[in-house]
Formats: sequence, C-alpha cells, structure tokens
Amino acid sequence: MMLRDRTAVAGVGWTEYAKNSGVSTLTLALRAIGSALDDAGIRHSDVDGVACHRVGDSVQAVLVAQALGIKDLRYHLDMFGGGGTSHQVVAHAAMAVATGMAETVVCWRAVNARSEFRMGGTGRAAPDALEFQYQLPYGYATPPQQYAMLARAWMHARDAKPEDLGRVAIAQREHARLSPRAMMRTPLDMDAYLASRWIAEPLRLYDCCLETDAAVAVVVTSAERARDLAQPPVLIAGAATGGGHTLFSNGRADATVSAAAELAPRLYAAAGIGPREVDVAQLYDAFTFLVPLQLEDYGLVERGETGGFYADGHASLGGLLPVNTHGGHLSEGYVHGLNHVAEAVTQLRGAAGARQVAGAEVALTTGQPGYVGGTCSALILRRDGDPVHSSGQATAPMGNEGNGA
Amino acid sequence: MSVHPSMDRDSTEWWASLAAHALIFQRCSECQTWRWPARAMCHACGAFAWRWQPASGRGEVASWIVNHHVFLPGVPAPYVVLNVRMAEQPDLVLPGAFEGPYDDPRLVIGAQVEAGFADCPGDPPAALLRWRIIQSIA
Repeated sequence: MMLRDRTAVAGVGWTEYAKNSGVSTLTLALRAIGSALDDAGIRHSDVDGVACHRVGDSVQAVLVAQALGIKDLRYHLDMFGGGGTSHQVVAHAAMAVATGMAETVVCWRAVNARSEFRMGGTGRAAPDALEFQYQLPYGYATPPQQYAMLARAWMHARDAKPEDLGRVAIAQREHARLSPRAMMRTPLDMDAYLASRWIAEPLRLYDCCLETDAAVAVVVTSAERARDLAQPPVLIAGAATGGGHTLFSNGRADATVSAAAELAPRLYAAAGIGPREVDVAQLYDAFTFLVPLQLEDYGLVERGETGGFYADGHASLGGLLPVNTHGGHLSEGYVHGLNHVAEAVTQLRGAAGARQVAGAEVALTTGQPGYVGGTCSALILRRDGDPVHSSGQATAPMGNEGNGA
Repeated sequence: MSVHPSMDRDSTEWWASLAAHALIFQRCSECQTWRWPARAMCHACGAFAWRWQPASGRGEVASWIVNHHVFLPGVPAPYVVLNVRMAEQPDLVLPGAFEGPYDDPRLVIGAQVEAGFADCPGDPPAALLRWRIIQSIA
C-alpha cells in the first residue's frame, strides 16, 4: 500500500510567536490545536489521534489527549527528537489515517524555547543522549556549536564565503517582512549581517535561528474526508525518513553531505514527483548553511552552485524556487520544523497573501537533515486535484541552465 | 577550562584509559573495523567480539570552531573545539580541545594533529583530549 495522496492536511494553526508566552506548553499546544481544528472545521470531539515530538521540553502527548477530552485514543505518538523528527510526526499521522487506525490526528510542536528551555542557552541540563559526555567537558554542547562544526567543513568543501550564508539570512528576512506572523521584520543587509557578532565561528548571530515561545498544529485526515471540510485539502503526496548516523558517525566520514541525500530519491519516488517539479521549498533552517546544503542534497541545485543561485535571487519570491517564504526559523520563528509544514500548506492553498508563490502546486518541506539528532524527515505536499506530474522518477537537479523556466 | 566528564557503563574503560594518558578505541575482533564511541556490536559486520586497542594518536583536523560565547560556566571564551579524523579510519572522528591560541593561523582543515592529554580535576580521575598541531598545510 502506498501513502501517496491518501491523506491530507485539513487544518493548520498557530499561537502567537513570543519571547515569553506566559503560559504552559500544554496551553500553547491546546491553543494551536484549537486554531487548526477551527481552520479545518472539525470539532475537538472528532479528534481520535495525537502526535508530537519533543526533547524533554514540552508537555506529554497523552496529557494533551486528555485535555482534548479523548476517551478512546486510537493513535498516540510521543516521539523523542528534535527537528529531524518534525516531519516524521506528520508522516506517522498520515500512516495511521491511511491504515485506518485513526480518522483524525492532530500533530503539534509546542515549546517555550525562549522563556523556559533555551536550546542555545547556558545552564540547561544535558539532553538525554549518550554522546553528550564526549562534548560537554570541552564546553561543546549546543546546536550553534555543533552546526558551526558542520558549517566549517561544508564551506571548506564548497569554497563558500560568509556572504553566501549572509544571502540566505537576508533573503529569508525579506520574506518575513511580508508576513504579519514573523518575529523579525526589520530589513537586514549584508553589512549588518557581516557585522553581527560571532556565536561560534564560522556562524554569526544572524546565521542562527530565533528562540521562540510558540506552538504550531496541523490536522491530518483522509483525503476523502478533507474534501468535505472547510479548507481546500493539501495532499500528503510523499513522506520519507532517513539518517541513522550522528555527529559521531560510525559510517559517514564526510560531513558535507547530509542524510537528506539518501532520503531524497525515496521521497521523490514515493510522491511520484521530481525535484524539478517543486514550486516552493521550506527547508529546515536552524542555521543558514543548512539551507544551501539541503538545496544540494534534495537535488534542487547542483553541488557548489548554491551561492550563485542565491546571488541571482532564485531562492527569493519571484525566483526559480522560492525558499522559506515565511522567513523560516531565522526570521519567522523557531517551531522546530512544524512551522515549515504550516507554511507549505498555506502556500498550496494560495493563502499566503503578499508572500504567495504564484501558482504553487507542489511544496517540499523538510526537517533537520540528520547529524545531531541522527534522523531526518521530509514531506512532499501538493494541491488537490488531478496529479500534475506522472514521472515517478527523481529527475536531474537544476543546474546553471535553471529549471527550464 | 573544562567540565568533568560523566560516563556510562559502556564508556568507563575509555575514560579510564584517557585518565592514564592513553588513547584507545574499540576494534572488532572479526572484521577489524575501529569504532568509537563504545558500543557492544560492530556496526560493520554485526559481531559482538571486540577488544580495546591503542591508537596512533594522530589524525587530521576535520573541522573546528571558535566559540565566542560562554556556552558553559567554567569554560571562558574565546576557545577552540576541534573535530579530528583519526589516521586509523576515516569515519573515526572525535572532538577535543586545542593546544594553541584561538586564532592560530596553522589551524586549517587537513592540518595534522597529535593527541595530548589535560588532566581534569574531580572524581574519578579523568583527562581530556587536547590536540596539538604537528604539521600544518597553511
């Protein structure tokens, strides 16, 4: 049985993005879920499955289920993991619906990542991971440091310059300026980017995502049922997970290619959609360099060509492949990957307002491409209607010649 | 300049060896693949038979970072953390501190380094890796 087009995202919801929400992660989760259910036109009493991911920083899924009044929880997923698992959560919900285990599953990520649990901050307890013992004694413990280590190797291999990362931050800031939801809406230019302080070389302040108190939720149900609900359905065309190795690789000597490179062909085959058919991409961007890395590893741009792709404006609205149209984790807010799913859905509904990608029919949305958490996941979503693509083959990446546009 | 390491039941011997200023890794008794961190099974062939084996202590800089922020109390900035690819096997990569200034021009990807050891106060006795450059390509 294939998952392709059997399920849909029927609703999306957000809380406010804040530096201090003032409420519990349980309340954040319920508010986002309530917003997503309202969007879908579904009553809370119709929800029979729950799915979330967390790293010891948010409310248990079962408590959210209880608060929703679910008496017979047909599907329950409470996954340990960070951004690499964000898209797996939605994929699992889709599998539960496609196999008949549940009819309507709510997925969410709720975190007070600024006021309660700062990923990049000091003084937090070490995460529950056996490998941290080899890092902590050296003062090497947080995501900006771990990704700086990877960024250096990638920049060296691709001969990438600081300006190449700066263009990612600036392009996403320009997108965020068009979104009322985004936390960072003041203009950013290259001088300001280059002048921003070092966090962990080669990453500067503006290479790092925001720390945000927020929750995002999506409602997954069958494509058939979604067609009777309030919003145009956005089909889950394909889903894939990957990875396995971590920073301590035991099997991957080259850190400049991520787990996404192995996942991507399976993802495109699952969806029956190739990289050239992607109209808009929401790529996990805890740090700037992850965006060009994924453009390469998802076969969207040739290796070594991402700098020119950005310099030519191809990743901006109006370009060949607009990337992170909401501003991403860098400028919209950090909701650990699920806000990328929500933006992909919004684009495919044609409801993104000033930041709408004209005619967007297919979106790629991705979680963290492996490394630190060890896993990777991604989705291809598409607008409902007749399949626009039928190749089923992963086609060649875009090169300098562009995508034929 | 450091924080005393915590250990688990698989890693105790590795840390004890480091405390005695010797760098060792597990090596599969069947296929001879090196591995680190300590695990019960060989990821290459699936065998459970293994031994600790002394390593050359030499490798090359796979990457490095300069930390400009106090990420951990007790570790003042700026400071360097290296990722070193061991000479024994390309996927044997481990972090450590750097013996040298944070802006050392010899510090480049591919520079040859050798393991040194810095004793770390606390109980049980412990030491941390501190890599020194033996040949730069800069």
